Amino acid sequence: MRQAPPTIGYTPPGSRPTRSVCGCANAVRLTTPQRLALFGPLAIVVGIGLVAPVVLGFLATFTSFSPGLTSVRFTGLANFAAVLRDREFLTATRNIAVFVIVAVPLELTIGFGLAYLLRRPFRGRAIVRVLLLIPWLVSPIASGVMWHFLLGPGQGMLDFFLAVLGIHGDVPSPLSQHGLAMAALIAVEVWRVAPLVAFLLLPGLTAIATDLWEQTTIDGASLFERIRVVALPAIRPLGLAVTLLLIGAALGTFDTVLILTGGGPGTETVTPALYSYSAAFQVSNWPIGAASAWLIVIAVLMIGAVYLSLTRKPS
Amino acid sequence: MSGNLRQSPRRRRDPVRVVLLAVAMLVFLFPILWTALASIGVRPRGFGPPALTWPPTFESFGEVGVAEPHFWQELATSTGVSAAATLLTMVVSLLAAFGLARSVFRSRRFAAEGFLVLASLPVMAYAIPLGELMRRLALSDTYPGLILGVAAVTAPLAVYVLYGTVSGQSAEYEDAARLDGAGLGRLLWNVVVPMIAPALAATAIVVFVLDWNMLLVPLVLAGVHIKTLPVAMIDFFTFERELDWSTAAAALIVSLVPLTLLVAVGYRLLDRFSLGATQR
Repeated sequence: MRQAPPTIGYTPPGSRPTRSVCGCANAVRLTTPQRLALFGPLAIVVGIGLVAPVVLGFLATFTSFSPGLTSVRFTGLANFAAVLRDREFLTATRNIAVFVIVAVPLELTIGFGLAYLLRRPFRGRAIVRVLLLIPWLVSPIASGVMWHFLLGPGQGMLDFFLAVLGIHGDVPSPLSQHGLAMAALIAVEVWRVAPLVAFLLLPGLTAIATDLWEQTTIDGASLFERIRVVALPAIRPLGLAVTLLLIGAALGTFDTVLILTGGGPGTETVTPALYSYSAAFQVSNWPIGAASAWLIVIAVLMIGAVYLSLTRKPS
Repeated sequence: MSGNLRQSPRRRRDPVRVVLLAVAMLVFLFPILWTALASIGVRPRGFGPPALTWPPTFESFGEVGVAEPHFWQELATSTGVSAAATLLTMVVSLLAAFGLARSVFRSRRFAAEGFLVLASLPVMAYAIPLGELMRRLALSDTYPGLILGVAAVTAPLAVYVLYGTVSGQSAEYEDAARLDGAGLGRLLWNVVVPMIAPALAATAIVVFVLDWNMLLVPLVLAGVHIKTLPVAMIDFFTFERELDWSTAAAALIVSLVPLTLLVAVGYRLLDRFSLGATQR
């Protein structure tokens, strides 16, 4: 017999609520007012603060809408066409592709390595964990200000240690040099984000049963085999979630670039987010800013679709 | 394998791990240390053989208030806005996560994963229309508007994390409370919240850090009457004159201290933070 899930609130005597047999353990039937009370507040906050701007932004990109403009015309795909024809945006797209392809795997690898080192308890591990999280506590803006000086001439540590090695003279900051700016930017972001990855992956690694590790050790498996056979399958779902967050954040890279290079030298480190920001707020070309921002939404939704299809597959 | 005389592999590998961890700590913390030293006036001399200036002084911390007259007020604004937004995020997310985890809705797991996709959406993707929407609602440059905007950024992540936490908990105690006729409010406050309190606190710390460091939302929604630290830092840095490194370093250290204290106090709780509890 199929029994209805229990309800919250008053239950008539004699009709003891039973665990549902619908395949969802721990489920209860919620009444409509209860559903409203539970989901309503989130719907208001996320609706106004996130979903509405995304949707309104989408609608606005098909028009000539701009704040302060009285008449609004339907322009079809003209805004998108203008963005996609702009060489600077194409450069920004190429830059962010390089950034995502290089920075995200580096963040994941270094983060995983740190988590692996912290996997087994030792004296002082809690302190080490907190200390290693500090770079992530530095805001992207503060990190930008900090690295501007650290890599710059005169006061920076780069300059200082080159001088210690005997290379004197003001070494120009790699952030202002062709060919080096993107690499420096990636290094700064990896420094800031890898500790977060370690923090997020560690619970997944510590949750792996000890006998699993010991079994492979007795079998004489090498470090890489153990990581491949034991660690990676166990943290696959967690790793996918972290990867999604990292790619999303990387696609929106903005704060650090704004402070560190401003997109330069030339357009070497312009990102779509920076392009969109300067179009909307510095050049006051609102439609171009909104349209280019929506291209970021499309990229994230595509990555999100891949993520959802990967998590649905039972591994 | 005859005569297995090898030591426990755990002992054998320890020195390697210690060395690697020490290198990692050096790489990740040295930049912070360099900045901390500069904030107390210990920095490269700039002439002659490489050497650091000595002795340390605390003058730079006073200079911060001269270079950015409202710095201390902005510090307070950041703290207040982040605290309020964290509270709002936690309340709305816990309600929804509980509803999702305990409802009969078939694809709730899929819905939870959908929240993670929302969480991965960078703010710049919708910051431009958000500014305009809040202006139309007469909420720009107001505390309610700013707090709402900041809370909305982190809410999807909090829903995802708390969904994992709640669905990992057995509903036994909730059943017992329900049999006693407890309503939804009492059930949540007296049963669910105490049970997952450590995880809630850990999530709140992470959300607070994200809120505190947020630049774009306060930049788009406020900035005239209400200024948070990251927004101020942009002005501070792009100021006309050349900013002194020690002053900048002092500002950086001051802005980092509250978060470091928070994490240091809550480090035991942070062990309970788990992004992946959904996967059960």
